[in-house]
Amino acid sequence: MDHSLQPSIASSTSNSPELAPLTSLLDKIIRHGGFELEYRIRPSGRPAEDSDSPEIIVELSGGDSDLLLEKNAQLLNAIEDILLKGARLPEGAAGMVGLDCNDWRRVRAEEIRLTAQMAAQHVIETGQPYTLNPMTPRERRIAHLALKDRPAVRTLSEGAGRDRRVVIFPAEPDSSGAPPR
Amino acid sequence: MEIKELLEAIAKSLVDNPERVAVRAVEGEQVTVFELRVDPTDLGKIIGKQGRTARSIRTIVGAAGMKLRKHFSLEILE
Repeated sequence: MDHSLQPSIASSTSNSPELAPLTSLLDKIIRHGGFELEYRIRPSGRPAEDSDSPEIIVELSGGDSDLLLEKNAQLLNAIEDILLKGARLPEGAAGMVGLDCNDWRRVRAEEIRLTAQMAAQHVIETGQPYTLNPMTPRERRIAHLALKDRPAVRTLSEGAGRDRRVVIFPAEPDSSGAPPR
Repeated sequence: MEIKELLEAIAKSLVDNPERVAVRAVEGEQVTVFELRVDPTDLGKIIGKQGRTARSIRTIVGAAGMKLRKHFSLEILE
């Protein structure tokens, strides 16, 4: 049984034939995987100055929404990873598209921005680096961008694979006189 | 549910030589092992940076297996 719906076209951008390989692959994953999911494509409605979220959201819903969001949205992230690689979107377009379910990405992005700001405040007050929890590349980008206008701190990503994390350093030399790495 | 077709669709989307993608299922009592073969030049595209793509494929296949209350394993071969 095919549980996918035809995507509703929410904007001229989402109507782009460039997205056809992505939706075709998503249809196959939903159908062959037996997932009870449907989707629609919509603009994210992000403000023009907000460059840390995709312009186009593929919104998934249905009986397997909970399965998508288990373990920090492991399945949602996996499907997004495969779609963005497999659809072979034109250069630069991959960053414009993202998957979401029950508004999880928006809430998660807000959580990351707040956490990054709190951690930056801690770094400023203590002069010590602060390491955030492991995040996906897209989530790390949100954390970096959240702090780009705070000159008192600087951020780097460290570690590899699933353990890669954002580390927040004081911008000035710490109490030992050593410059932040 | 068609795990073989699921794997084929995902693998063919990722590689440069989709005609060289082959999937074989070996069914045991407790687990079904899926062997995914691709052209050696495409192995990196299936595995991904630090194994991320292979992990994503395994997550999708594992979730599909959960719905069936079955355990699926994926072996990636040249």
